[in-house]
Amino acid sequence: MSFFGFGQSAEIDIVLDGQENRRTAEIKTEDGKREKYYLYFDGETVSGKVNVNLRKSGSKLEHQGIKIEFIGQIELYYDRGNHQEFTSLVKELARPGELTQSTNYNFEFSQVEKPYESYTGANVRLRYFLRVTLVKRISDTVKEQDIIVHTLSQYPEMNSSIKMEVGIEDCLHIEFEYNKSKYHLKDVIVGKIYFLLVRIKIKHMELQVIKRETTGTGTFTFTGPNTFNENETIAKYEIMDGAPVRGESIPIRLFLSGYELTPTMRDINKKFSVRYYLNLVLVDEEERRYFKQQEITIFRRADKIRKNYQAALSHHNPSLLSDGGGNSKTSYQQHQEDEEEEDGGKEAAEKKDEKEK
Amino acid sequence: MPSTPQLSPQEEQEKLLEEALNVVKTQAFQMKRCLDKGRLMDGLKHASTMLGELRTSLLSPKSYYECYMAISDELRHLEMYLVDEFQKGRKVADLYELVQYAGNIVPRLYLLITVGTVYIKSNELSRKDILKDLVEMCRGVQHPLRGLFLRNYLLQCTKNVLPDAVEDQSTESNGGESGTVMDSVDFIHLNFAEMNKLWVRMQHQGHSRDRERRENERRELRILVGTNLVRLSQLECIDVEKFKQSVLPGVLEQVVNCKDAIAQEYLMECIIQVFPDEFHLQSLNSFLRACAELHPNVNVKNIIIALIDRLASFAQNEEGPGIPPEIQLFDIFSQQISQVIQNRPDMAPEDIVSLQVALINLALKCYPDKVDYVDKVLETTEEIFNRLNLDHVEHGSPVSKELMRLMKIPVDTYNNILTVLQLQHFGPLFEYFDYKGRQLMSCHIINNALENETLIPAQENVDSILNIVNCLVQDQNDQPEEPDDPEDFAEEQGIMGRFIHLLQSSDSNQQFLILNTARKHFGAGGDKRIKFTLPPIVFAAYRLAFRYKQLQDEDENWEKKCQKIFQFCHQTIGALIKAEQAEIPLRLFLQGALVAGQIGFENSETVAYEFLSQAFSIYEDEISDSKAQLAAITLIIGTLEQMSCFGEENQEPLFTQCALAASKLLKKPDQCRGVSISSHLFWSGKSAKSGELRDAKRVSDCLKKGVKIANQCMDSSVQVQLFVEVLNQYIYFYEKGCEQISVQVLNQIISKIRELLPNLESNEETEQINKHFKNTLEHLHHKLESSESVGQYEGLVL
Repeated sequence: MSFFGFGQSAEIDIVLDGQENRRTAEIKTEDGKREKYYLYFDGETVSGKVNVNLRKSGSKLEHQGIKIEFIGQIELYYDRGNHQEFTSLVKELARPGELTQSTNYNFEFSQVEKPYESYTGANVRLRYFLRVTLVKRISDTVKEQDIIVHTLSQYPEMNSSIKMEVGIEDCLHIEFEYNKSKYHLKDVIVGKIYFLLVRIKIKHMELQVIKRETTGTGTFTFTGPNTFNENETIAKYEIMDGAPVRGESIPIRLFLSGYELTPTMRDINKKFSVRYYLNLVLVDEEERRYFKQQEITIFRRADKIRKNYQAALSHHNPSLLSDGGGNSKTSYQQHQEDEEEEDGGKEAAEKKDEKEK
Repeated sequence: MPSTPQLSPQEEQEKLLEEALNVVKTQAFQMKRCLDKGRLMDGLKHASTMLGELRTSLLSPKSYYECYMAISDELRHLEMYLVDEFQKGRKVADLYELVQYAGNIVPRLYLLITVGTVYIKSNELSRKDILKDLVEMCRGVQHPLRGLFLRNYLLQCTKNVLPDAVEDQSTESNGGESGTVMDSVDFIHLNFAEMNKLWVRMQHQGHSRDRERRENERRELRILVGTNLVRLSQLECIDVEKFKQSVLPGVLEQVVNCKDAIAQEYLMECIIQVFPDEFHLQSLNSFLRACAELHPNVNVKNIIIALIDRLASFAQNEEGPGIPPEIQLFDIFSQQISQVIQNRPDMAPEDIVSLQVALINLALKCYPDKVDYVDKVLETTEEIFNRLNLDHVEHGSPVSKELMRLMKIPVDTYNNILTVLQLQHFGPLFEYFDYKGRQLMSCHIINNALENETLIPAQENVDSILNIVNCLVQDQNDQPEEPDDPEDFAEEQGIMGRFIHLLQSSDSNQQFLILNTARKHFGAGGDKRIKFTLPPIVFAAYRLAFRYKQLQDEDENWEKKCQKIFQFCHQTIGALIKAEQAEIPLRLFLQGALVAGQIGFENSETVAYEFLSQAFSIYEDEISDSKAQLAAITLIIGTLEQMSCFGEENQEPLFTQCALAASKLLKKPDQCRGVSISSHLFWSGKSAKSGELRDAKRVSDCLKKGVKIANQCMDSSVQVQLFVEVLNQYIYFYEKGCEQISVQVLNQIISKIRELLPNLESNEETEQINKHFKNTLEHLHHKLESSESVGQYEGLVL
């Protein structure tokens, strides 16, 4: 940029290698708009060409050097001025000098580590971008280009089901089971609710997917006041209508691909976490709610062509529920501890967790 | 709430329904518009909104049904559209998944079923999995009403796509599984079990004061549950074996375990109705065992009776294969029914008996030859009565009605009392009725014998029957103190009299024993009964005497036997006399005398004489009414005139006695008539040796005496009448050639009548007499003019 329209100015343009064939991905901006950027994965080389186009031909442009940076940063909305860069790579494209004509520079960040997934949340944003800086005496000319990073995970080797017996004494005892504890973004949650004791008049039951974004880290005292939890109900899915009796088992099948989910992110660079919970909610005829939350892990796996309807059929596994016995007792105990530890500070006065009654 | 006037519950329902139907209409319209434009996703959204109406809890089952019908109509459009698209090859990927994003479960499952059906229709190989998935997913709706309709929709949609093959048609190469009939069975079983649970659950919801309404609502909904059974019955690949091994046990398990009377009663009947007889025959034991385990409030009786009726008519169907011989239908039912009864100590006795009624019907229809089956039922019934301590079944009570029905069945079916008598337990069971019941049953039995003209050919039979119908034969300890209406009594005893004529053996000696037995029974019947029952016995005995006469060449003892019969009759008639009867014994003696005379056995003259003399003593001792006396003496004279067995020494006193008796009648007219009638004895009366007497002198004497007595009559009208009658007697004998009667005598009487006749008051009686006289003269005119009788009446003055 030049003041008063004097002198030369340049327009910088970044062209990524193979971008015509590169996949793009969408991400939300802070204000909720969707933007499309090129998609990269961890360890992928980011290379391309920087075009510096002079606006006026025939006059030269003096500069103090041209560089390109690859930056990964976390922006906490309440701390605008203080972006955390967890990755910052620099390449010098030109030594200080003069440009007399539009020039291209090739660049390459070879096998860049991109440890985190791009993310836009309620209070935090994690973004990757390329920044070209043409250093000048008065003001630099800067061009930024965002990219999106998806972190891919292998299928977890351990992916046990979540199974638990919970209840309010002499009132409601249920055993529920989700087929896995870790789901990929296009996965299907399959499960069952088994009613062991029903003494309340249940009106309906739903399964919710709740996203909890935590910013700041509660463990460090100096950032303590800056810890925020943001809960968002991503899915609200009725799985039962009416009142079951003892012995009923209600199937669950929830397709995740229809909802906007991100992979679970835990303690990203000690700045924020995004966690997902399955919340099973029973509502009785007096609109009292009984619920139980279970964390699940969501991960991204490499896309492949989706199958036909058959994948849409659940694969019921009745044995999941029948082998209850001592096993479920244990999980009941664990659940009690969980309760005090995690759910203890839960707000929502009219909500009652089964155990707390 | 708006301040509209309070709506009645019914108006409220109408309003709610109307609103719902409006939404359905609008959304269906939008849906179809979107589909027409190929905007499937928008179409589905409207379908989902439309289906939202089925989430309501406000509609009564009836209104909900209407709403459901409207919606399922509209869903057919969607289904047709999708099938069409699929056939054109325009598959919408992931549709089955897509519809599952619907947040509310009721619309979601309706859509899932619709789409699932379309998938099956476009690719049969997928159906096994899809069916299984659909029926499982429907578990999510636990609300009874909504769940029932949802699952009914599932049944409706899958109606024509259920696998119905013994083996899977698919191969490894095409990867899918089209499923077998057993998959369909599993599918329906599961759906049935769930629907039944929902249906039963309705019973336990809401206030207890609404119980009646709730039960009515449940009954309205039962067909939804029953449809499962219909669907099972429509699977063609189910054979007897599969039915026995899987289909029926699965259904029965549900029915028994649900422990709900309404459900059990309906479903058991449903099972009977929807499956073919051949299947029932092969699975009777399990079905009946299930019956024994039903809820105490279930009317098991009706269920079992329905089954028996069905099988009985199956057995009777002539085009059908009949009951396979290896199936012991009767034994099975008999055992299982007794199990049912044992399991239900509270069962009403009338219900127990009506089960026996069903059983006896079964025995008679399926095994008409097996009397012992019927007897077995009666035996069981008796045992039950014993166990229940029911020894006095009051008439009009339900038990009595049922027991009567039970016992009438063999009577009406066999239409032969002798077969009924083979039933060892028929008689004993009779004793459980009270007097009125026994009376009605007895009449029924006897009438049956009369209608069918069943002959009773042996003494033992007579004995048994009369023991059974004892209350018609003799007085009973428990009979009411008030006597029966005389007309009813006469009718009842009348049929007994008729019945006696059925006691017939082709063997004469046996017949004698029969009559003796009958006599013994009826003899104890008391004065009121014997006048109806003993005369037929006497007549039967007379007939028997004739039979011996015919058998004289075969039976050398026939004469002694005849003698015995007459002794029997004599004694029987004596019993009637003791009962202060006169008219009947008189006639029976006269008849006996005639019979003895006609048969002519060794001692018959003595017997006949004795019988006649007995008749005379009755006449003398017992008959006091003058009219009856005249009638009696006329009868005696008539009888004597007919007889030809007497020798001189017996005949003379009898004839003289008659004439004397006639002349001793109290009233002159009676005397006149008696004397003139006795004249016949001396003309056409026959003696053993010389035939007709033709004693003109004594004839003339009698008639003269008649004229003389007529002259003494004070009542001129009667006098003329008597003259006319005597004139007729004269003419008779004149024409017969009695030489003591001349034309002069006739002329005298005619002129006497002519003289008296005009003096009579003209009235109806006079008219009669006039007519009689005129007719008499006409006869004489005729004779005068006739060429055949020229000169016979010479000198007659008319």
